[in-house]
Amino acid sequence: MQPIFAVIQKEFKQVFRDRSMVAIIFLVPLIQLFLLAYSITVDVRHVKLEIADLDNSHLSRELVQAFSHTKQFDLVGWTRNLNGIEEGFRSWRSQVVLIIPPGFEKNLRRGRLPQIGVAVDGVDGNTAGVALGYAQAILIRFGQRIQTQVFAQKTRSQPHLVEMRERMWYNPELDSKPFMIPGIAVVLLTLLPMMLSSMSLVKEKETGTLEQLLVTPLKKTQLILGKLIPFLLLSFIELSFLLLVAIGSFHIAMNGSYLLLGWLSFVYLFTTLGLGIFISTVTTSQQQAMFMSWFMLVFMILMSGFFIPIENMPLVLQKLTYLDPMRYFMSIVRDIFQKGSGLRFLQRDAIPMAGFGVIILTVSILKFHKRVG
Amino acid sequence: MKAALLRTRAIVRKEFLHILHDPRSLFLVFLMPVVQLIMFGYALNLEIQRVDMAVFDHARSPASREFIQAFSGSRFFHVFEVNRSVRTVEDWFKSRKARVALVIPADFDRQLHRNLRIPIQFLMDASDANAATLIRNYCQQILISYNLSHGAKVLLPFAFRRTVFFNPNFRSSYFFVPGLMAMILIMISTLLTSVAIAREKETGTLEQMLVSPVRSREIILGKVFPYLVLAFLDAAAILAIGLFLFRIPFVGNLLLLTLLSVLYIVLALSLGLLISTVASSQQVAMMIAQIATVLPTIMMAGMIFPIASMPRWLQLITYILPARFYLLIVRGIILKGSTFADLLNPSAVLLGMTIFLLLVSIRKFKTNLEA
Repeated sequence: MQPIFAVIQKEFKQVFRDRSMVAIIFLVPLIQLFLLAYSITVDVRHVKLEIADLDNSHLSRELVQAFSHTKQFDLVGWTRNLNGIEEGFRSWRSQVVLIIPPGFEKNLRRGRLPQIGVAVDGVDGNTAGVALGYAQAILIRFGQRIQTQVFAQKTRSQPHLVEMRERMWYNPELDSKPFMIPGIAVVLLTLLPMMLSSMSLVKEKETGTLEQLLVTPLKKTQLILGKLIPFLLLSFIELSFLLLVAIGSFHIAMNGSYLLLGWLSFVYLFTTLGLGIFISTVTTSQQQAMFMSWFMLVFMILMSGFFIPIENMPLVLQKLTYLDPMRYFMSIVRDIFQKGSGLRFLQRDAIPMAGFGVIILTVSILKFHKRVG
Repeated sequence: MKAALLRTRAIVRKEFLHILHDPRSLFLVFLMPVVQLIMFGYALNLEIQRVDMAVFDHARSPASREFIQAFSGSRFFHVFEVNRSVRTVEDWFKSRKARVALVIPADFDRQLHRNLRIPIQFLMDASDANAATLIRNYCQQILISYNLSHGAKVLLPFAFRRTVFFNPNFRSSYFFVPGLMAMILIMISTLLTSVAIAREKETGTLEQMLVSPVRSREIILGKVFPYLVLAFLDAAAILAIGLFLFRIPFVGNLLLLTLLSVLYIVLALSLGLLISTVASSQQVAMMIAQIATVLPTIMMAGMIFPIASMPRWLQLITYILPARFYLLIVRGIILKGSTFADLLNPSAVLLGMTIFLLLVSIRKFKTNLEA
């Protein structure tokens, strides 16, 4: 056992000798947590609206008011020149233009159905679609109101309307933080162990110190264990630290079992550390190791459902996500936190995750033995 | 002057040789962006394709079935009926077999004839707030069209027509593929230079250069130039894939895009340079490069999530992200045909950032060498 401790001690010293490494391990994740927790939102607000009021009547101004007094639209400008619409889009000045035709009020009072135009910059399809929906809703509301004002006598029967009563489970405020923050913790819990372990082994290869370690009476297994245990410990400290901050300062509710979370995190770390060793066996320099782990990370993060729901992807890619160990851990952590799910609901993810972990770690250690031996 | 040029060229040559001697890295530098682009290009989609909806139909009447039909007929929803108590809904959510549950009351038909407003309960698994918001929007749209087709004649005294510019079918690849150019370029360029100098520091070869007659300005130029070429080739490959594989229309001026992309690449390379001067080792340099580029670009620069919807203080922070400005440029030129006059502001910001970073990093580099 003692040789392992020596390696562990050496490894810890190596990490903590470098101040910037300590900052990267503890401080940077914290900053990222804070920034990312707020940045991820598909809410569409403050859409830049330009208005072409070619009528300039009492009613057209009322319609303009109906648009400018909303949270969804920010009135950024006026135009009288319809050719300028496209130019406004090209320079990112506006996203939506509302066009009220000349003679709007007059034609409306005569019942001639004047045509209102809504032009939208479709480049950001999601925003454009939602903004059009907002515009439509405002127009319908406005239309219904003036309908009863202007043509009060003509409307007879009131329509029956089916209305939505919604109840949002687990997250009544529709706050994205309880979903994103555990997700960020998962990403960070993958990133660090993988990079640290891959680079630490490659570094010894690059500088030739690995050979030195091998001529010591240390067994290869002891060497690997001694290398992995510090990263395992660091990752655990990191995780607890992040969760503490998440719960303490973001007031994220933890509805599930800490013990279960701890166990499954431990299992997940087999995968990330295993991948780290694997990368170190197929690369020869730190730069390559970095590229490789980076490459894998981007793939893993993308396919994990972290910020793009898996259901949105084409079927082929959805199938591909089953190869991503992070996918399972992502669901597990989020479900434990938000839904308080027990193992009964989690085994669907936990079993493949454990399988991956054991396979990846075993294969990598074997490969490492062969490479080194 | 001529001597300076020669010395710079020597460094360029050395750096090129260094790159070519490591084909594995080179391979990764080209393979990575291409694979990432293809994967991201297909995977990035904010529109939900299929939402599992559990229906608890307590009315079981033709009217309720017709109402359900409004949802099952939509391509967004995969509707299945559950003949159990609504209380089981939590199990459906926990096992992720349903994202939303529609509960139709037993007296639906009666209400439909008597009441002006018929409340219908939608229970949603809102653990993913973004998805829940989208699902709610879809449900509302379907309700509107159901109401319209069921006697609720919302008579409007006017008509309205929508015109969609540049991307009439709202294809998300139009939005995301140019966005990926911004991410991949800054990631690759920053990483490459940050490592190139940190490596010399780590192996001690930087000192050797110091005793040679080469000036620090020349070292930097000579080191950066090969990576500029590399990143530029990457950009060209990404653009080609975007145009031919994802069929993005290119309506703007290629020369303008090239010039501004070179500016952006130089900016990213200078950022890498600065990182390498402050980093103590390759490992630290690469970590910082990654932290500074990947996640902020994806999450905060407007590549995926609209900046206007972020909290105000965060919006202010986004102004330091180069990608925020390059995104306007690359999307503007490719998709909208924006001219230089249209893009004056973001271009000026990029130029300012580049000059600032270059000056700071050359200065830091000098003090580094002298120390």
